[in-house]
Amino acid sequence: MIVLDQVQVTFGEGTPLETRAVRGISLSINAGEFVTVIGSNGSGKSTLLNTLSGEVHPQKGTILVGDQDVTRWSSAQRAELIARVFQDPLAGSCENLSIEENMALAWYRGKKTGFSAALNAENRDVFKQQLSRLGLGLENRLKDKMGLLSGGQRQAISLLMSALQPAKILLLDEHTAALDPKTAAFVVDLTCQIIDENKLTALMVTHSMQQALEVGTRTIMLHEGKVVFDVSGEERKDLVVADLLDLFKKNQQGEELSDDSLLLS
Amino acid sequence: MSTIAALGALESGLVFALVAFGVFMTFRILEFPDLTVDGSFPLGAAVSAIMIVSGVNPWLATLAAFVAGMMAGVVTAWMNTKLGILNLLASILTMIALYSINLRIMGKPNVALLGETTVLSPTESWGMAYYYATPLAFSIVVLVVFFFLLKFLNSQAGLAMRATGANARMARSQGINTDRMVILGVAVSNGLVGLSGSLFAQSQGSADITMGVGVIVIGLASVIGGEAIITPKTMLLALVACIVGSIMYRFAIAFALNADFIGLKAQDLNLVTAVLVAFAIVAPKLKANVSAWLARGKNG
Repeated sequence: MIVLDQVQVTFGEGTPLETRAVRGISLSINAGEFVTVIGSNGSGKSTLLNTLSGEVHPQKGTILVGDQDVTRWSSAQRAELIARVFQDPLAGSCENLSIEENMALAWYRGKKTGFSAALNAENRDVFKQQLSRLGLGLENRLKDKMGLLSGGQRQAISLLMSALQPAKILLLDEHTAALDPKTAAFVVDLTCQIIDENKLTALMVTHSMQQALEVGTRTIMLHEGKVVFDVSGEERKDLVVADLLDLFKKNQQGEELSDDSLLLS
Repeated sequence: MSTIAALGALESGLVFALVAFGVFMTFRILEFPDLTVDGSFPLGAAVSAIMIVSGVNPWLATLAAFVAGMMAGVVTAWMNTKLGILNLLASILTMIALYSINLRIMGKPNVALLGETTVLSPTESWGMAYYYATPLAFSIVVLVVFFFLLKFLNSQAGLAMRATGANARMARSQGINTDRMVILGVAVSNGLVGLSGSLFAQSQGSADITMGVGVIVIGLASVIGGEAIITPKTMLLALVACIVGSIMYRFAIAFALNADFIGLKAQDLNLVTAVLVAFAIVAPKLKANVSAWLARGKNG
């Protein structure tokens, strides 16, 4: 489904600030897999996601989605295949547009748009029906500006938006990081439902090792721009956070993981 | 203020409502501070004036002014999106370049249209004085543009354009080609300004190289002033605010210049405009401050 082959991303190449964010990642993700990605700050998680979404283009390597080589595609071109929920609730929607207008944007994702009205009875019905499943009463606030909603509500709507068009891949970039624990749990539940219903292939970046093991079917850990371990299936089933730390230590020749935020969350 | 002066203010207000629409599209919809308008306004005037004096059909000449304005907008947007020049700077470059281009088009600093057949000539047979007929004709033009613009802004493409201005990263992740949207928006905006320049020249009887000076400020004054009066909750209200703001601006200017007790003269026009714009920008904040102050007074 998704194949990354020797992908390398360097920022500021040839300058004193050169950062090798991704140093040769090769990864093959099957259709329907739900991969959780962990790693400390600067490990290349976000860059990996940005490379998949097309916001960052790799210096070396290729990216295949299905059997299409999308390495040089822009993020607008990839929108047909890839839906995305951002870490910052403000980033994934337009606060000056109404709820229904934001959803209409997602409704036309990857479709050719013309000069007919963006909103009509048909898509408004779908939006209402989708919003009502959140149980937040948002289905009665279609005309409210997105900026009036809380971060959690906005993330929930972003998730619904990602499923309005049949994408193949869903990218989640620490999309619960800015939320309180209760709302985060709600959003994670919704995420799992949507991935399940739409049979999506998903990558979820998370800062929490606990969460990385609780959801999904496969977990990879990045460190300094490389994959340090990759567990799935039977091997992953009974893992606890302590095992992940051991795995990290083993694969890094004894180096201890020293990112507190990764251990504490 | 006399009736004729009031109708004159209404007429200018209506012509400049088209500029307000254009400025609204760039500054508000696309968040693209576009100063090209100071060049595309006289460009529209120059193109249509020179075509009319050469005997071309005035309708065709007016259409040409719209197209010329669009081309100016495309140049600005292209420099910004494809060459990576800062949007404000790109628009200033086009504006400066247009000064030379406008002189080239006209071949001299101004072209008189007196006695020529213009798009306003048919109004002579309407059986009313020109100072009634011209505002009436312009209000029809403004209503037509208003209708199309409203339809566009609520269309799929219009929504994509609004998303481009509001959150370009999100727009791209929804498959919107944001560069294309910026080019289209800035082009249409300047097309409207070119159209406005053409109509203004035809109603005033001449095109002049200096007629573009300060058009951007007038447009901004109209947009901001209109928003201060009508809260633009929907696209419909936002466009209505542009028209109301543009007409209000003309009346405010006419009032300021006509009121003898203030002692202002015609040469004070730009000063008055600048003060009005500054006031319109600060007004919402002042309003909030005053109501906060009043509320404190009540509680204390």
